[in-house]
Amino acid sequence: MSLEQARQRIARWQPRINAFVSTEPRAAGSGRGPLAGRALAHKDMFYRAGLVSNCGSKIRKGWVAAETAAVLERLDAAGALDIGTLNMAEFAYGPTGHNDHWGDCCNPWNPEYITGGSSSGSAAAVAAGIVFAALGSDTGGSIRLPASACGVTGLKTTWGRVSRHGAMPLSHSLDTIGPLARSAEDCALVYGVIAGRDVRDPVTVHAPAEVAADGMARTIAISSRWIRENAHPEIAQAILDAARCFHLVEAEPPPFDLLSAHCLTVMQSEASAQHAQWMRERPQDYSSAVRARLEAGFAIPAAQYVEVLRLRGAWLERFCGETLRQADAYLVPAIAVPLPTRAETGPRGGPDMPQRLAEVTRLTRWVNYLGVPSLSLPCGFDSRGLPIGLQLVGRPFAEGTLLAAGRAYQRATDWHRRLPPDPR
Amino acid sequence: MLASQGIALAAGRAERLAPGVNALNVEDPLRGEMPFEVDATTYLSVAKRVQA
Repeated sequence: MSLEQARQRIARWQPRINAFVSTEPRAAGSGRGPLAGRALAHKDMFYRAGLVSNCGSKIRKGWVAAETAAVLERLDAAGALDIGTLNMAEFAYGPTGHNDHWGDCCNPWNPEYITGGSSSGSAAAVAAGIVFAALGSDTGGSIRLPASACGVTGLKTTWGRVSRHGAMPLSHSLDTIGPLARSAEDCALVYGVIAGRDVRDPVTVHAPAEVAADGMARTIAISSRWIRENAHPEIAQAILDAARCFHLVEAEPPPFDLLSAHCLTVMQSEASAQHAQWMRERPQDYSSAVRARLEAGFAIPAAQYVEVLRLRGAWLERFCGETLRQADAYLVPAIAVPLPTRAETGPRGGPDMPQRLAEVTRLTRWVNYLGVPSLSLPCGFDSRGLPIGLQLVGRPFAEGTLLAAGRAYQRATDWHRRLPPDPR
Repeated sequence: MLASQGIALAAGRAERLAPGVNALNVEDPLRGEMPFEVDATTYLSVAKRVQA
């Protein structure tokens, strides 16, 4: 898609979905490289020297970065265009796509419904066919939730696979960066560019980032009974239908709720520490929802936080040794409940709102606690015409395996090719 | 606890804070098996050992 075509689609879609924060071009593309001429845009939290990154917030509105994110340097070198910045949850700390400061991002399939978050604009812009791909960040599901809700493909990378230098931090033990695009093939292209060691992010590693060749048999672990008993029937059906494309082995489900609680302990403790000074000096400048999440982190005992981090290795070992003992990846829904509306999950969502948010995020946070990669793939639509997504979760640094499996699945299906109807 | 850290709670939030934070303090079956020497960096060596 050319820059001019992208601009035409922005003009058509922006009033409906509010995916862009800025449409000022940020990088012109070098004309050569694996992404030459491709129009990309990114979540408004990847810094570019001399340009604004608002981080979805009031506090950082108009803030000018002094240096450029490592991932943007790599995309620039690969020839990609950067055509603007994308909406996101305030400080990437929200799972729905609501934003009190910049306006909610709306689902291209039906703007009454949530996009998922926090990489809301990234998923919406890809789903609307505006950009080839967009970067997002994933600390508790922030790539996979919007990818699933908007019907696109999203890759949460292994913790340590992609440099976070020059990206807004939320929770350093959990933060990861990855691409959202229409297909696993397109995600693989972006992933191949951004993955790799960077001395400015000391947790990154040299592990090879190849995507395995197609045609290899993939054995996928699944907990069919758990899915039938816990997911909404329409979602369970779509997931189990999709699973038939793979060679399956049954496995006991990981303790999602326990691992999710551990993830929240880490996330809230670290996010609150990161925001401590602003929380002391200008708490009124946060939205009510984000302020409440940040307040909670200050009440978590330090010993509890450290003990949960001590347990992390044991749980990773158990997931790889038991759940993945006979399999290359584990298949589970990205979101097990019907997508809620923006009204149901917004500031006036009522007493059921916290429970609705917990249901939406139930199956993503455990992956961040383990630090493993996960690929979200569209696998159907519910009776309201809203997308359904599955996750393939792998061992550390198994992105290549997941992308190859995703590519094979998308050769056998066409869910990823479906586009929401253009606005009238 | 929050006041000692210089954090002012928004109005009406105190009653809702405790249940949410207490819900995170869950029973973990691996706690009892964890060797004394394990610390947070042990995760890195496990990730290397079990990687693809």
